[in-house]
Parts: sequence; C-alpha cells; structure tokens
Amino acid sequence: MSRPQARPDMMAQTSAPLVFHVHGLTKTYPSPAGAVQALRGVDLDIRRGETLVLLGPSGSGKSTLLNILGGLDRASSGEILFEGRDLARASDPELTAYRRRSVGFIFQFFNLTPSLTARENVDLITEIATDPMPAERALALVGLSDRLDHFPAQLSGGQQQRVAVARAIAKRPEVLFCDEPTGSLDSESGIQVLEAIQGVAAEVGATVMIVTHNAGVAGIADRIIRFRDGLIVEVAENSEKRSPKDLVW
Amino acid sequence: MRLKALDRKLLRDLWRLRWQVLAIALLIACGVSVTVMAFSAQQSLRTAQQRYYAQTRFADVFASAKRAPAETARRLAAIEGVSVVDTRVAYAGLMEVPGLSRPATARVISLPDDPAGGLNRIVLQAGRMPDPARNDEAVAVKAFLDAAHVRIGDRLTATIGGRALSFRIVGSALSPEYVYVPSPESTMPDDAHQGVFWMPRPVVERAAGLGGAFNTVALKLAAGASPRAVMASVDRILAPYGGAPAYERVDQSSNAFLEAELKELSKSATIFPPVFLLVAAALVNLVIGRLVGVEREQIGMLKAFGYSDFEAARPYLRLAMAIGVLGAAGGGVLGLAFGAAITDLYAEYMRFPRLSAAFSWPAFTIASAVAIAATSAGSLGAVRRAVRLSPAVAMQPARPSDYRAGLFERLGLTRRLDQPTRMILRSLERFPVRAGLTVAGLAASLTLLVGTLFMFRALDYVLDHVYYRTQRWSEAVGFAEVRDVRAISAVRRLPGVYAAEPVRLAGARVRANGREARVLVSGVEPWALMDRALDRAGRALPFEGRGVVLSEALARKLSVGPGQAVDLEITEPRRGRALLPVTATAEDYSGLSVYIARPALNRLLAEGDVATGAQLLVRPDARPAFYREIERVPQIVAAASRDDTVANWRRVTTESFRISILIYIGFAGAIAFGVAFNTGRIALAERGRDIATLHVLGFDHRECGYVLLGELALLALLATPLGLVAGDLFAQGIVLAYSRDELRIPATIGPETYAVALTAYFAAVLIACVIVGRRIWTLDLVAVLKTRE
Ligand SMILES: Nc1ncnc2c1ncn2[C@@H]1O[C@H](COP(=O)(O)OP(=O)(O)OP(=O)(O)O)[C@@H](O)[C@H]1O
Ligand SMILES: [Mg+2]
Repeated sequence: MSRPQARPDMMAQTSAPLVFHVHGLTKTYPSPAGAVQALRGVDLDIRRGETLVLLGPSGSGKSTLLNILGGLDRASSGEILFEGRDLARASDPELTAYRRRSVGFIFQFFNLTPSLTARENVDLITEIATDPMPAERALALVGLSDRLDHFPAQLSGGQQQRVAVARAIAKRPEVLFCDEPTGSLDSESGIQVLEAIQGVAAEVGATVMIVTHNAGVAGIADRIIRFRDGLIVEVAENSEKRSPKDLVW
Repeated sequence: MRLKALDRKLLRDLWRLRWQVLAIALLIACGVSVTVMAFSAQQSLRTAQQRYYAQTRFADVFASAKRAPAETARRLAAIEGVSVVDTRVAYAGLMEVPGLSRPATARVISLPDDPAGGLNRIVLQAGRMPDPARNDEAVAVKAFLDAAHVRIGDRLTATIGGRALSFRIVGSALSPEYVYVPSPESTMPDDAHQGVFWMPRPVVERAAGLGGAFNTVALKLAAGASPRAVMASVDRILAPYGGAPAYERVDQSSNAFLEAELKELSKSATIFPPVFLLVAAALVNLVIGRLVGVEREQIGMLKAFGYSDFEAARPYLRLAMAIGVLGAAGGGVLGLAFGAAITDLYAEYMRFPRLSAAFSWPAFTIASAVAIAATSAGSLGAVRRAVRLSPAVAMQPARPSDYRAGLFERLGLTRRLDQPTRMILRSLERFPVRAGLTVAGLAASLTLLVGTLFMFRALDYVLDHVYYRTQRWSEAVGFAEVRDVRAISAVRRLPGVYAAEPVRLAGARVRANGREARVLVSGVEPWALMDRALDRAGRALPFEGRGVVLSEALARKLSVGPGQAVDLEITEPRRGRALLPVTATAEDYSGLSVYIARPALNRLLAEGDVATGAQLLVRPDARPAFYREIERVPQIVAAASRDDTVANWRRVTTESFRISILIYIGFAGAIAFGVAFNTGRIALAERGRDIATLHVLGFDHRECGYVLLGELALLALLATPLGLVAGDLFAQGIVLAYSRDELRIPATIGPETYAVALTAYFAAVLIACVIVGRRIWTLDLVAVLKTRE
C-alpha cells in the first residue's frame, strides 16, 4: 500500500519535541449492517506548537481520529503515544486524567451549559484543572471581557463559540482539538473564532488540531492533512501560512 | 465559599424545574407527613399515658364482687406478686340531668380514706375534694361536666337501688380509669350520659348498703409478677363473694380503647407513605431521565474535559436528593401541623391532665432517609445512563429522537388516523417505560381515592346494619341485676312502650381450637324481633336448642364454623360453662358477639326465667314521659336510645374519621395532579418545538393542545380501570388492617364511591392539563424555534 505521506524536513517545527506519535491506527465500528472501518491504518507525528488542519470528505474518519487522539474513544489497533505514553493501552481513569490535564475541546455546536454564564461556563472547567488561568483572563483573550455575566442565550453564535474557546484554553492545555469550530458560523464570526483559537493557543503554547470542511480555513495551518476513506492521503506543509484575517471563505 | 459552577447549574436547574420539583416534593411531603403525624401523635399519647398512669398509680389487675368483706383485702394482699390492694365501693343508677332528654347513668365510686393514697387516683382539675364530714358532696369526672353542661356547685340526684342519692358537685377531676369514658351501648363515647362521681367512702358504703365490705378492687403487681397467676388467686378468693373474673389492664375498657388507637396510628404510618414514595420515585425517574436525555451533549462535554464519569453524573443524583430533602422538610412541617391537629382532636375525647403535641424525631429522620433514598433510587436509571454516556457524544450533533414504525403501525391501526394521533401513538411506543410509569402513578391516585372514600359509605352501611336491621329497638333499659322475666310486664306498662322483649346479657369467655375471646353473650327470645342475628342475605337466623350463633368476626377469630362446638364460660354475673354447638354465623360489624336463646342461657346458668334488661319500642312523642318514669323504676340503672346513639356515632365520626379521609382525598388528588403535571410538562418540553412548528404551519391552539395533552389524556383513561380494580383490593387491605373487635367495616364499594373517586381523579388531571395547556397560548414561537432544546 502506498503511503504518500511526505515528511518535510525543513519544517519550522522539526526542532520541537513530538507530542503525538501515531502508528498503524485503525478503528472499526461494529454495526448491525456490518462493521464500518472508520480508520484503516493512520501514521502521523505531531510536534509541539504545530497547528494542523484536517480536510476530507464527509465520513472519511476525521472526527474519529480526533476523538481517539483526544481520549474520547479507543482505537481498534495501533499505537498512539502522547509524550511517550501509550493512550491505546491507557485505562479509563488514565484517559480521564489525560483529558483533564492535557486536552481542550471545541465543538461545532459549542455545547455551552445554558444555565451558566460565560464566566461560569469557563469556571466549570477551570475548577477541575491544576493550573488554570482565571476565567476573566481567558474570556479577555477571546475578546469577551464585556460579556462575562451573559448567559449563552444572550450571546451570538460567534460569541458562544468564543466562550467555548476560552473554556477550552483556560486550563492551559497541551493540545487543543477543534471539530468544525466554524461549522455553524458565518465567515465573520468564524474568523473571529479562529483568531481567538490561534491567539490563545500561542499564548499557552498549545498544539492545535482543527477538523474542517472549509478549505479556506486551511490557510492558518502549519500542515494540512487530507483524509479519504480512513486514510491520510496527503500531508502538505503550508508554505504561505496566513493569519485568520486574511482568509478567504 | 464560592459555589462551584456545577452546583450553580444544579440550583438553576432546580429553579427552572421548580414547579415540577415542587409537585414531586409535595408527594414526598404527603408521605413523610403521614408517618410523622402518626408517630408524633402516638408519641404524645404514649407520653401522656405513661406519665398519667405513673402519677395516678394506675392498677394492673381489676376485679369485682357482689359483696366482699373488708378483711378479704388482706388475703388479696397476701397473694404472691401483689404489691398494693385498693378496695372500693362502686354502684350505679340513673339520674336526671337538667337539659338532657334522657336519664344519664350515674356511677358512684368511693374515695380512699387517705386522699393521697390508693390506686387509680383522680386528678382534681377544678374545685376541691369532698369534705369527708359531709355526706352530700361529690367530685365528678370532667368529661361528663363538660358534655352535660353541669357546673361545680350544681346539685344532682341519682336514683340508685331505688333510693335517691342527692349530692352537690364540688370539684371536677380526671381519672386514669376514664381517659376515655366508654358507653355501654355504643362503641362511641357518650360523655353527657356517663356520669362518674367520687364520694367519701362511708357515704357510698351506706348508700350501697355495703357497710364494712367492698365490691370492686384494684391491684398493683410487683415487678416481674405473673398477672395470670395473680388473677387466678384473686378469682379463687373472691368466688364465694359473687366475684366476677379479674381482668388485666389490657382489658380495662379505657386503656383498651387507647391502645387500639395507638395501634391504628402505626398502621396509617406504614400503609400510606409507601404509595406516595413509590409514585414520587417514578416521577423523579421521568423528570431526571428526561433531563439526562436533553443534556447528553453537556454530559459528554464535561467528560471530554476530564470530569470523571461519576462527577459528570453526580448533579443528577444531587437533584434527585434535593427533591427528596425538600419533600422531607415539607413533610416534617406538615406532619407537625397534622400531628398537633390530631392530638387536639384526641384531647376532645381522651382526657389526660396534659396532652401536648409532640414531634417524633425518629419518625421524621427515618421517613426522610427513606424519602431521600426513594428519590435517589428513582434517579438511578438516569444517572446510570449519564455515567455510561460516551464523551464522544459531545462531538456529535443532536440526533432526532429515534422514532420508528412500531406495533400500532404494523398492526395497521394507524392507517386511518390523523397525524397528531400518530404522533401520540408513536410517542407512547417510543417511551414505553415513561407511559407505564405515568399510568401506574395515575392508577395509584385512583386506588388511594377508591380505597379511602369507600369508608364514607361503609360507615353509613354499618350504622344501618347495626341499629336498624340487627337491632331494631328504639330504647333499651338495663337492670341492676338479673330479674325475673315478669319484671318486663312492668316495663311494658311504662308510658309510650308498645313492645318489649326481655334480654339476658352476660359477659363470657369463649374458647375453641386453643383460642379464646372475651365476648358479650346476648340471650334473646327465640322469636325476637328487636335483636336478631342476621345471615348475609339479611334473614334472621333461627335458634336451635342450645345452639349458639357467632358473629362472623368471632367465628374467624376462633376459626370455628357451623357444626362445630365452642366452650362457653359465662363469667358475669353468674358462672356457668358448657360446650355448645355452633348453628350459624351472623353478619355483624361491631363487637364480638354470641347469640343464644334466652331459655337455653337461663338453663345453662341454672337461674330460672330471668333477664338483665329489655329492648323496647317507644312512641317518639311519649319519650319524655317514658324517661321521666324510668327513673322511678328502681331496678332500671341504664337506658339507651338508638337515636342518641346513632347521632353520637355520626358526631364522633364526622370529627375524627372524616378529617383523616379528607386528608387522604387531598393526598390522592396531589398524586394525580403531580403525575399529570409532570408528564404534561415533560411533553411540553419535548414537543415545544413541534408544537411551535405546527402553530407556525397553521394549526390552531386546540389542535396543538391535542398534540400536547392527548397522550396524557389517553394515559389517564388507560389508568382508570387499573386504578378502580386496585382500589378495590386496597379497600380490602384497609378493611383487614383497620378492623378491630369493636368495629369492622365492610369492603363493599358502591357506585357513588366510584363516581366521587373518578370525579376527584379527573378533576386533578384536568387542573394539571389546564395549567400545562395554558402554556400553548403563551408559547413564544420565536424563542422556542430559536433554541436547541
Ligand atoms: N459510533 C459509530 N458507529 C458506527 N459507525 C460510526 C460511528 N461513528 C462514526 N462512524 C462511521 O465512521 C466513519 C467515519 O466517521 P467520522 O465521523 O470520523 O467522519 P468525518 O470525517 O468526521 O465526517 P464529517 O465530515 O461528516 O463529520 C463514517 O462512515 C461513520 O458512519
Ligand atoms: Mg466529523
């Protein structure tokens, strides 16, 4: 099987240490209509501070990979080393601790808690973190200092997603997983959200992995990964990395 | 301390769901309050009783004789295990009380020489003790003074043994022997016609012609003494003096009544609360189950961010516990109020020097713990689902609920139905557990309604059966002692009497199959028309020779039936014993009774043709004259009137019985309302979007209401037959649990009971529907369509 995965040696991040080393990762979902092979052997190395964008047709396995890397789901086979520790063999409590300490998530549908204010939504996560930043600061980083005590229903979609960004980075995660973070937003709010993600990720030194259908978003990536049928078909270094402001949608 | 964000969410959820939470908490409060009320009332009665008995040195064993010489007391004191012997002289007659239409019974009891000594001491409430130097002063039992409106200073004249005894009331008192003053003709108290008076001993001895003797005795036993052995010795010593068998405190009428009441309280504390707690747990299951369903992505998000499975699920458990705590607290308050009210009610006919409302902390603690455990258990299914939920759901868009073509479709039942009806049917199939719990909860409400309401009618039925079909006399008179049956002809000549039948009543013990019961034996004329034993069809049972007819309750208690024999030992006022055949059992609701032909009883006692009283039919217009006259007939010491008895019965039942029934109707309504309201609110939350959409698409309010509440209405109808059948069973259970020897209630449920129960049930459901349905009119279409859930 040919694996057209290029490994550009001239990347800026080559010197940075590996965060993830993924090898031979497969995922099969049992289903009454027959097993579904969502991932068929994925190899990937991710370095600290990188921003990766995953592109690919619907059903190609992007979310599945993200979920497994984020410790939400388990691989069927293969190896996933996070800073040297194998997530594929981690126990449930170990996975929970991994998510608690190291991972931030941003979801397409925000998943804010409607009965909590912006500040409280962030607190919800900082309360269980070891060295979080104050909720106010996290919200300031996403430009919502004046919306601290608003409830989700009182915020626009873009603002809600920025609260979600603040919630995800307030605990200073090592990796930030975003599954279609702009999927429910118009371009303007989408750009604001991407700016927030990039800005705060830089601030805390997080590695960012963004799944999107929107090829335009790929502009902000260090590397662009293309998926098809549960396989990585291309890993391209983004030579002309842009800031979100300059993206065309 | 700053509240954690999750705790804030919990508080806000509680507030958002406050009406649902309150409706469930109300049910828990009902359940807890019954327990708290019953045990609190029990505690206050028990405390008052124990304190009172100790303070007044209430006796352990009681006995009486016709005339026992004073020195017999020393022999009684010498019985092993007896620590104190207190002899009295007591006798009874009739007395006219101004303002009462019928003579009252006057029971005069001697006071001990040492006013601070003796047993069964009276406790003065007002006035003073009689002056021992005077022969016309008496202390009266307070219940009588209150009920008959007799004041201290008033003078009364009793006719006892043909002689007039006139005395002035100088004080009012309570007695441990008369906490509850029994009325010989009825199971209900009749304080106005039951005068008890205490006078100095020499006065009573002289009046009763018992100088140097006594006729009643009370004994206190040493710790650890065997009452049975003592009673046997007492019986042996008193037998030559016309002694009636000794009896224990448990058989003393006032104490027995009190104990029966205490036992009944424990029963209500254990029968009703489980119903409420089960329904509340089911509702918690529905409400929290739905919450977890709605908040799947939230729970997934928390887990994705590193909350452990349990941490993410814990708020739902806490919510359930909060409902339990709220309900328990409400139940404590309600229970305290109900307990105080019921204690007040008891104070009306149970006379203690001090009866103060108590609060049973143990009952409250245990009931609260059980309530919180019940709500927690109710939430377990939902909490388990939250624990099991994969964090990956946070990543997925919300899915439409998983509807599919179900049984109704496959059976082709839906083809002709309109779309809203299909929505309803599919929802029932999609959430069968919810539908099942709703039906069960609604049925429980109806069960409770039918199971308590039937008592209203049942009481009337009992009254009718006892006083108009079994006993058909209008007045009854009792003689001081057995009289030759020819005395009846004197009674027949009294004004207004147009029929009179002699009756020979006797106290007895009846034994069979190793079991024993204390009973009243009615020796009636074989042709009796006024006091009859009836079979189930209401036909008078004939007497055959020496055969006896037992009331059904007695036959059950002894497990004997027609064709078998019972050992009948007459104990009062003469003794006799024989093995007699049982010829039939009689339907009977009050007391344990044995019917026998009077001649057979007379023969058994070898006493000639005698009677202890007569049952009469008196023309209503002649009653005043009749009563004026009987006071002058020396041998008549007791008189009863059916109308008074029935009126008294009704008065007492309206006071106590109906209050508790009304409470239970309210409680049952609360269940129906709570279930319907919660189901309605859940439907509203679930279908709010559908309904708003339908509304936008041009459905009118009524059609939207049908979509929202049609399901509930269907479930309420489905629950009806279940509830009615279960109500029937529940009624049987209640009858079993609450039957006492004095009063049994038939578990026959009339159509009016069903009608009232169904009306209350549908009213409660309807109110819930209206409250939920009103929302359709005020639904903010834009807001509903904009929010995802
Ligand atoms: N829980 C599951 N059970 C069964 N099959 C699943 C499950 N989750 C995902 N799949 C299947 O795995 C494959 C990959 O799904 P995945 O969600 O990773 O795709 P994706 O690339 O994220 O698609 P999209 O861009 O539409 O979100 C799909 O064919 C999907 O149907
Ligand atoms: Mg996806």
